[in-house]
Amino acid sequence: MNNHNLINTNCPNLENYLQNNAALLLLLLAPDGRIIDANKYARDIVGQEITGENLSSVIVDFSNTFSLEQTLEKNEISHLFNVTSYTGLPQTFYFRFIRQGENILAIGELNHLEVEDLRKNLTSLNNEFSNLNRELHKKNAELVKLNDLKNHFLGMAAHDLRNPIGAIQNLSEFLLEETGDKLNSEHTKFINVIHSSSKYMLNLLDQLLDIARIEAGKLDLDIRPTDIIELIKSCVYLNKVLAEKKKVEIQFHHYERFPDIELDAMKIEQVMHNLLSNAIKFSDPGSTIFVSAFLSNEHITVSVKDEGPGIPKEDIEKLYKPFSKTSVKLPDGEKSTGLGLAIVHKIILGHLGKIWVESKVGEGSSFYFSLPVKSPVKK
Amino acid sequence: MISESLYNEYLAALIEGDKKKCHKLVKDLLDNNISLYDLYVHLFQGSLYHVGHLWEINKISVATEHMATSITESVLTLAYPRIFAADHKGKKAVVSCLVNEYHQIGGKMVADIFEINGWDGYFLGANTPKKELLNMIQEKQPDMLALSLSIYFNMNSLYDVLNDVQKSSPELKVIVGGQAFRWGGRDVGEKFPGVEYVPSIKDLETLLLENE
Repeated sequence: MNNHNLINTNCPNLENYLQNNAALLLLLLAPDGRIIDANKYARDIVGQEITGENLSSVIVDFSNTFSLEQTLEKNEISHLFNVTSYTGLPQTFYFRFIRQGENILAIGELNHLEVEDLRKNLTSLNNEFSNLNRELHKKNAELVKLNDLKNHFLGMAAHDLRNPIGAIQNLSEFLLEETGDKLNSEHTKFINVIHSSSKYMLNLLDQLLDIARIEAGKLDLDIRPTDIIELIKSCVYLNKVLAEKKKVEIQFHHYERFPDIELDAMKIEQVMHNLLSNAIKFSDPGSTIFVSAFLSNEHITVSVKDEGPGIPKEDIEKLYKPFSKTSVKLPDGEKSTGLGLAIVHKIILGHLGKIWVESKVGEGSSFYFSLPVKSPVKK
Repeated sequence: MISESLYNEYLAALIEGDKKKCHKLVKDLLDNNISLYDLYVHLFQGSLYHVGHLWEINKISVATEHMATSITESVLTLAYPRIFAADHKGKKAVVSCLVNEYHQIGGKMVADIFEINGWDGYFLGANTPKKELLNMIQEKQPDMLALSLSIYFNMNSLYDVLNDVQKSSPELKVIVGGQAFRWGGRDVGEKFPGVEYVPSIKDLETLLLENE
């Protein structure tokens, strides 16, 4: 404490109260603005070491327009100051300056109407936020229920349609094989259309059932250590038949010895077949599809690269959404359900892996997926 | 059930403004599959009444009371995935506070109780102007309207709203409740036939069972 009185009131109790308890910021200033003394509230707000500092170092005055002398001359009743508080956040006080002998007493107080407004606004914003939060949860729950309903319906419809369409496909195939040259060419063409359409519908239904199962949370993975090179080789072998029909070559490269990878072999085969059949679908005769696999950071990465038309940048985000069609035109005679990559995406995510694509229009596309060697998925 | 020691631990954290601890305690209870009724009545409602009482007897400041309310609003969200997953019966309720009523948490908890009981509980929030409330009733066509009143001095606003609601939707079942009725107004049903004062969440649940 300095050898002067911060407050002179002739009432020791009041002085003690103002010095130690009042929620008023009291600073005793020398004529040059140096802080000679401060009450407890001021030290609590600004910092314990404020005596000796200049008032200008305590207040935020970016434009440097405040002059203590001029303020006293003008006898300004109240002056707004933002004070740098110990929290680092400025706090606004309304100051009055009163001459006290040769020194000046600066009294800073909060505007209670401002504080009240702030409190009201905060309460109202908080209410609004929490009500929106409630609304969001409610809407989300409604969407989850609707999605479940959609999947249930999809699964049921697909299941009930599968048997009759399977019969149409099998019987049209039987007719094509058995009737031989007994039918005229036009009738044979009709049966061919029935056969290819029913085959497409059966594929679509299988994929719909897959999607419905996965979205209903029924992607049950049978995770086991698997020789992934053998798995890829087998998929490449099976797809070569299809590729050769289009005069497309498939090459598989891998340079390392691979440990067994923990995965669901049937599901990853489904992924490989899908990526390979897409690559074949979009490849021109005479082109090559490159399949490769490599290991890094406890992950295996597999890529399927084609020399097809490539995918425009704006279509890449749509690739994994069910039923989304890109602007890439399918070659004549090729069909797409728009579900294959959505299923592939969900299978890879189910393995806690990643899938991505690099593509350049006119040069081709490379699809990559990576899987952890040791699966974190609970077995 | 909520044990006394857990209740006291939660209440202390609520008054200290320890949101993290309140979240943890509530999350643990939900993970242990506590009944939502117990959570709402014995923990949330009980602790808020306790905080309100401490404010009334000048033991805590209005700031502490508001902080406790905000924390409760925040921990309520932890129960939402369970609350909104309940099967719905196709019945709707609009729940609202009146104009100049800023205490909304009681009303919101009532809307959640409707949800827990298989109703759609639409909560309009604090300080809802009469016109907005009447528009919402027309839009949602609810099976029940629940009005929450926390300040006794707003009783005349309630009567004004009830008057208009009964004119525009004479068949609509209306219930009222809230802390304001501790000081009077429980005879609201005599002034507005068909309007029912519901003193507690338990009474609300009984009423909802009767209305199934």
